[in-house]
Amino acid sequence: MGPVDRGADRAVTGTGAVGRVVLVRPWTDARAGGGCCGGEARDGVAPLAGPGPERRRAHEHDAVADPVGAAYRALRAQLPDLDVQVVDAGNTAWLLPAVLRRARRRVGTLAAVRSALGATRAGSVLVDGVRVGDLADLDADEVVAVVRRAAAA
Amino acid sequence: MPAIVVAAAVAVLFFLAYRHYSSYLARRVYGADAAFVTPAHQYADGIDFVPTNKHVVFGHHFTSVAGAAPIVGPAIAAFWGWGPALAWIVVGTIFAAGVHDMGALAVSVRHRARNIGSIAHDVISKRARTLFLLIIFFLLTLVNAVFAVVIGNLLVANPGAVIPIFVEIPLAIGIGQYIYRSRSAALVPSLVGVVVLYLLIWVGQQVPIELTGLADALGVDNPRNVWVVILFVYAFIASRLPVWVLLQPRDYINSHQLFIALGVIAAGILVGWNTIAAPLVNDVPEGSPSIFPFLFITVACGAISGFHSLVASGTTAKQIDKEADVRHVGYLGAVGEGALAVGALLAVTAGVAATRADWQALYPDFSTASGGAVGNFVNGVGIFANNLGVPLDLAVIFAAVVVISFAATTMDTGVRLQRYVVQEIAEVLGWQRLARNLTLAGIVAVVVPLAMALLPGGGEAGYTFGVLWQLFGTTNQLTAGLALAVVGVWVVQRGRNPVAVLVPLAFLLVMTSWALVVNLRNFIDDGQWVLAPLDAIIFVLAMWLVVEAALALRRASGSTSGDERAPVPDDSPQRR
Repeated sequence: MGPVDRGADRAVTGTGAVGRVVLVRPWTDARAGGGCCGGEARDGVAPLAGPGPERRRAHEHDAVADPVGAAYRALRAQLPDLDVQVVDAGNTAWLLPAVLRRARRRVGTLAAVRSALGATRAGSVLVDGVRVGDLADLDADEVVAVVRRAAAA
Repeated sequence: MPAIVVAAAVAVLFFLAYRHYSSYLARRVYGADAAFVTPAHQYADGIDFVPTNKHVVFGHHFTSVAGAAPIVGPAIAAFWGWGPALAWIVVGTIFAAGVHDMGALAVSVRHRARNIGSIAHDVISKRARTLFLLIIFFLLTLVNAVFAVVIGNLLVANPGAVIPIFVEIPLAIGIGQYIYRSRSAALVPSLVGVVVLYLLIWVGQQVPIELTGLADALGVDNPRNVWVVILFVYAFIASRLPVWVLLQPRDYINSHQLFIALGVIAAGILVGWNTIAAPLVNDVPEGSPSIFPFLFITVACGAISGFHSLVASGTTAKQIDKEADVRHVGYLGAVGEGALAVGALLAVTAGVAATRADWQALYPDFSTASGGAVGNFVNGVGIFANNLGVPLDLAVIFAAVVVISFAATTMDTGVRLQRYVVQEIAEVLGWQRLARNLTLAGIVAVVVPLAMALLPGGGEAGYTFGVLWQLFGTTNQLTAGLALAVVGVWVVQRGRNPVAVLVPLAFLLVMTSWALVVNLRNFIDDGQWVLAPLDAIIFVLAMWLVVEAALALRRASGSTSGDERAPVPDDSPQRR
């Protein structure tokens, strides 16, 4: 990918409103809820520093190798004014209304409902509530290109 | 009084508290600064550290803290009458839980999103980290023990729930695999899972499964204990699976069930217009535990839960976009859990019985109240669902399935977390074999709570379950105490008024210590030679915490005396 054209980026960033771009975490990296008193506290119960095979797997994600991390960092670097949210597929309380609201403006109510139901597909890249790609199929630069196109449309 | 009136009044109080008190905390106590660069921004990697919209983080945080525990405590505490239980839930949520959850999040955000145990090492003393690990070890041990007993009791009392609960396991695995392999959206398959689960309730009702025969064949007095062993074997295996294989899809199904159950409770109360049958203040039999201090350790989750500090400071803090968001995520998360506790209280005071006499038959003494608490909640929610037209017998199994699903997920994650804690403690002690061996650590994580859950006298009489629940509440409050101590020291060091933090801290430490002393004397009198040493150990931890907190606060006060304030003791990103 060539140098970033900041002038063109201003056109894609639009209002900069929350959740223009949503990356849905891959299923294998999902964070479980669990509830009180056994919820998502993997990082909360391990106060020791230093290596440990289980701890490294459980508490310390390798962000460099993760497709969400790579896509997120590329988007932040190349489209810094575009709001990007990383969301769990299980966070339906936020995901569904947010996608529905945004997609309805863009594609109408029926298509927005379809889009909202599909938004919980792990690895989805959503722009204005519409699914434009899958993190499993795109590398970070391709995600940026797809998002740039969709946001400018 | 109609339950709906109480629910509406509480909603107003919680709204006002969020609007005004949390705002005061953010501005005057924690000093939330819009210009502060949060760790989510400084270390943004798109995985752990992600600046995230506050509503998104709230969704994540709330599903990680709202579960089965805020149901059990209020269901037992109704024994003292609905007035004291409701008062503690409301006051505790507003002035203790909100302060605690928001404070743990705020202090973590100012310390690179590190967890409370790690920050305690720096802010309080080096010993505090060991204290933290020991308290968490006992907390998780007791969590796993009490939830195994809760599930065992419910499976014995509701044999129709056995098939749905056990079929839910392969169902969740199948849904997880389908979503993973086909890369399909998760919502529709998980909703199908919920529908299948509820269809299985009918199957379960037709084919109830009881283990009385097996228990007799094994020479076990109480079939509940057979379930307890099965549950721990299951939890050990489940905790060794990757999170996404079973835990995540089941939790996804549970998240739908949470909304369904909350909707059923709210709509059932509204439609049925159930009135509260329990007395405002119950005239308890002589020799019963007194309101002070036992109410305040019986209702931990739902009034204040130290476990929330582990979630807040471990994972949630890494996603906070703006420092001011700690108010929305932390305080509102506590309020959400308080609302769940109020719903549970209404189910056991307005749902489960129509008359005062019926209610008093369910709560004649503390042991019966403890042993039957969850069953009362299940029956109460069953009545609410019945108000909506669901046949009562199916409605009760539905409620049992919801509670068992939550409790089982809590056990899954509880055993998994305990394994981490065992490894951490082993590392502190230099026991590298235990620290590195997952199977060994997992066995330790399972065997200790299993032994406690099988203590004689549990379940049936409710005695052992009642005291195990109290000890769980105590360790949960001690965890909250440690987090509040860390937050309090941090607030003092920043030269801000710590009263809002120190009052709940002092209250919790007094109540927990008082309860531990009374229980210790009772255990010795009753010859409870397992519970007595356990109580004594937790009491030592409580005293250790009191000393550490006092010393740290004294040091912090000294360091901020005079006109010159010490620098803010955070190691967070540079301010803009």
